Amino acid sequence: MPDHSQAAIHLEAVELTLTSNAGQVNILRGINLLVEPGESVGLVGPSGSGKTSMLMIIAGLERPTAGHVGIAGQAIEAMGEDDLALFRRSHVGIVFQDFHLLPTMTALENAAMPLEFAGRDDAFERARAELDAVGLSHRLDHYPGQLSGGEQQRVALARAIIAEPSILLADEPTGNLDAETGRKVMDLLFDLKERCQTTLLLITHELELAHRCSRLVNMLDGRVIEDNQQRRSA
Amino acid sequence: MTSLALAWTFARRELRAGFSGFLIFLACLALGVAAIAAVGWISASVVGGLNANARDLLGGDVSLRLNNRDFNTQQMDWLMANTVRQSSAVEMRAMAAPVAKTNGNRKRSLVELKGVDSAYPLYGDMVLDPPLVLADALTRQDNGTWGTVVDKNLLLRLGLDVGDRVRVGVATLTITATIVREPDRVATVLSLGPRLMVSARALGDTGLVQPGSQINFQTRAVIAKNTDMGVWQERLNAAFPNVGWRLLMPDQAAPGVRRFIQRLALFLGFVGLTALLVGGIGVSNAISSYLDGRTAAIATFKCLGAPATLVFQIYLLQVLVIGAVGIVLGLIAGAALPTVVLSLLADYLPVAPEQGFYIKPLLVAAIFGLLTALTFALWPLGRAGKIPAATLFRDKIAPSGLRPGKSVIVASALGVVLLAILTVATSSEKYFALWFVGGALLTLALLRLGAVALVAGAARMRRPKGASLRLAISNIYRPGGNASSIIVSLGLGLSVLIAVALIEGNLNYQIKERLPEKAPAFFFIDIQPDQVAEFDQTVTAFAETSGYKRMPSLRGRIVKIGGVRVEDAAIAQHAKWAVHGDRALTTSATMTDGSILVAGKWWPKDYSGPPLISLDRNLANGFGIGLGDTLTVNVLGRQITGTIASLRDINWRSLRFDFAIIFAPGPLEGAPYTHIAAIEAPAAIEDDLEEAVASRFTNITTIRVREALQAASLILTGIGQAVRGTSLITILAGALVLAGTIAAGQRRRIYTSVVFKVLGATRAALLKAFVLEFGILGLATGIVAAAIGTLTSWAVMVYMMQTDWIFLPGVVAWTVTICLMVTISAGFLGTWRALSEKASHHLRNE
Repeated sequence: MPDHSQAAIHLEAVELTLTSNAGQVNILRGINLLVEPGESVGLVGPSGSGKTSMLMIIAGLERPTAGHVGIAGQAIEAMGEDDLALFRRSHVGIVFQDFHLLPTMTALENAAMPLEFAGRDDAFERARAELDAVGLSHRLDHYPGQLSGGEQQRVALARAIIAEPSILLADEPTGNLDAETGRKVMDLLFDLKERCQTTLLLITHELELAHRCSRLVNMLDGRVIEDNQQRRSA
Repeated sequence: MTSLALAWTFARRELRAGFSGFLIFLACLALGVAAIAAVGWISASVVGGLNANARDLLGGDVSLRLNNRDFNTQQMDWLMANTVRQSSAVEMRAMAAPVAKTNGNRKRSLVELKGVDSAYPLYGDMVLDPPLVLADALTRQDNGTWGTVVDKNLLLRLGLDVGDRVRVGVATLTITATIVREPDRVATVLSLGPRLMVSARALGDTGLVQPGSQINFQTRAVIAKNTDMGVWQERLNAAFPNVGWRLLMPDQAAPGVRRFIQRLALFLGFVGLTALLVGGIGVSNAISSYLDGRTAAIATFKCLGAPATLVFQIYLLQVLVIGAVGIVLGLIAGAALPTVVLSLLADYLPVAPEQGFYIKPLLVAAIFGLLTALTFALWPLGRAGKIPAATLFRDKIAPSGLRPGKSVIVASALGVVLLAILTVATSSEKYFALWFVGGALLTLALLRLGAVALVAGAARMRRPKGASLRLAISNIYRPGGNASSIIVSLGLGLSVLIAVALIEGNLNYQIKERLPEKAPAFFFIDIQPDQVAEFDQTVTAFAETSGYKRMPSLRGRIVKIGGVRVEDAAIAQHAKWAVHGDRALTTSATMTDGSILVAGKWWPKDYSGPPLISLDRNLANGFGIGLGDTLTVNVLGRQITGTIASLRDINWRSLRFDFAIIFAPGPLEGAPYTHIAAIEAPAAIEDDLEEAVASRFTNITTIRVREALQAASLILTGIGQAVRGTSLITILAGALVLAGTIAAGQRRRIYTSVVFKVLGATRAALLKAFVLEFGILGLATGIVAAAIGTLTSWAVMVYMMQTDWIFLPGVVAWTVTICLMVTISAGFLGTWRALSEKASHHLRNE
């Protein structure tokens, strides 16, 4: 049996079934996926294909109905909620389409949060540096409502990367941005990925963006229907 | 379609969603309205009970009372000629002692002795147990003694039964029955002893009716039907212009009880108003929260061409509809509650309350409710109407801090003024109502100031090390934070509770701790001048006694102040007690021990000029008079006008007896007077001392101060519990607002928790942060409320009650702890729900 303990992401026969008023809905149907450290994976597929659900399972925000989920060498499917939070703190950074910044906190406070939770004394110093790195040093004390969409997503990027996670998950990070702003944000995302040598899993509807990744995974109806591993060298 | 009709159409459509977002609004308003309505209703039904039984309580259509002197022939002739029936009664205090069945029963009791004629009672029925006719019960019995009927309480005190004998004065009486109902006796707040009733002839045989003794002579009469009472009274006054009697008509029956009920209702009404004020904050929060949720709808209205006025009207109409529902719910509860409360209080009420439907308290409560809802709703409504659509879309994220339009600000201010006017106008005592309005405004301002200081302090604070504490502190000053509404709403109720608890604690401390320390053991009244030497010898013969003091005393009524009739004089609230009925006076050539002369000079020992008076300085201030002014006093029908020669500071709290009015020797000479005395004695010799006095001086009444203080303490505790219980309503209102605030912030709290969890925060850390946040808010609220409550209690004790004040840390600590527990529990419950939310639902792309 091959050893996948060093894999960044290792999903094996992962299933997710949710119960709704209409009965049981199979969201994921036996997903197998192996992502090595440093890879960038573009996850594509039509709406409802299970991309976001898979990302949630990888982030430990959703619990699989069956299967094994190994992230950064740790099996997380049996972890408790608090252990998962601690796990995310050290290993996972997430960027959402809707940014999910806290509206009552300034850009600096939003970015510093992960390190604050980790009890780091240098949380704000590091947040300042990360915001500077994404070009927002002049917006530190602004609230999200005072920032443009692109600026908000850059704060979210700084926040995702601040704890130097080994895995960066991005769920359609340009979905709410215009083409030009989206392109700039993606440039930044890939720059950060390179700088931090992190593994990237990017959900997107835009094939052009997906092709910037080293590998392309296509999903349909809760299954991986295509895994273009040949691009790994890209 | 007019603008208002259009607004109503849209308001109706919006209301289709139901009232679920307005539960706190409804509860806050209903609670305040219910409290005001219930207090008003209860007060009206008790006063209604007094009015319905007015003739019974008064003992006739008219009651005339003279102190220390009987009605003369001329007066009685006039009354007989001008009334249908008359009845005379005499009331005084006396000592009753058992004629011992066994040797060694040394028990004695102070009694309220009443001698009645055969016509008594003119109205109502005297009910006895066994059910004898009063005349038979009071007539001379087979054993040759007069019969007497007594309160059952006296039998218990003296260990006697019906059929036993009791000695009063020099007479021996046989107890023939106990009193079940005495129609003209109101359960007074402070009664020194149980009733002992005898016939007028038996009273004469007691030997207690002596010149100068403190005796009330009463004549009650039935007046012919259809008599114009006003004209009748004018004729009486014309026939006897300067008698100095106290004349009461049915609408003035039981004036002391009426005053007590009205004042208690006044303060409980203020508590209800405070609850409504707190509820007003809840109303404001609920509307803000509702409008937050309607931001998109408002923006859409505006985008589609709805002017600000229309938007304002749409939501104002909704507030009015929901407000009306809340008010109606409050009125229903307010009308239903009295039935329960009155049945619980039945044993403590002076008269049976009058059942009925009292529309006035309901109307007053409804108007208060409507005004409060409008005043507190206008600000958030005006804000929503004023802000442009684009700002509305962003308002939730970056609060605009915009103010509503000028007209709305003016209308809000007008609402506050109208509330103040209504409070004063509907209050039975404008003086207290003005204090309440001022106090409420000041309290609100101080609480708001406290909230601003806390937020500013939290914002300026250096970031603490722990992440949870850092989060807790930053949550306090973040935009959209709820520090202000929690501190103001909960703080207002808590301030009232702390003030009430501290006032009650202070009064109890005075009565239980301070007064007994320095109070004399006994007061003796009705010592005849010829008994003085023997009495002095008797009481001072006890070596353990000290502080013996005796002075002559007679009673008189102040009829003119500075030449102006008392009825027309402007008298300050704190001095009004001195013109309610007769006051004790004395005459002295020399200044009494312990007196502090603060103005003028004491008269020479051998002074024999025109009447001079030395007056209590506080009373002089209250009357608005000073040195050189005059005071006219009616003493036994004679009007004596004296010039104020000096002012004294009197410490009434010392319980050393003193006199507010002291005449220079001369004008009062010849008037029949008695002496009063006080002496300090250890508890161990109290019985012996009482026995020594009682066995030698049957006419002298002994008042045990310790017992009187215990009775007062018991009453005070009862009143304190009632007021404190009612003031819990304000805390309930505050808790409702707190619940509303937490509910309104729940969506935001869930979202925050989810994002925190995504970023690696554990549930314990989050819980700690939220609990710390609410703990800090609770502590801050407690501290500010403690300061305000303490300040209020100090002002009430020192300025209104003119007594000492001490800080009682236990009372404050207890109430602040409750506040802390309430906020932390509320925060904990709200947060717990937020923490159990599943993250993935909230993070999927919309």
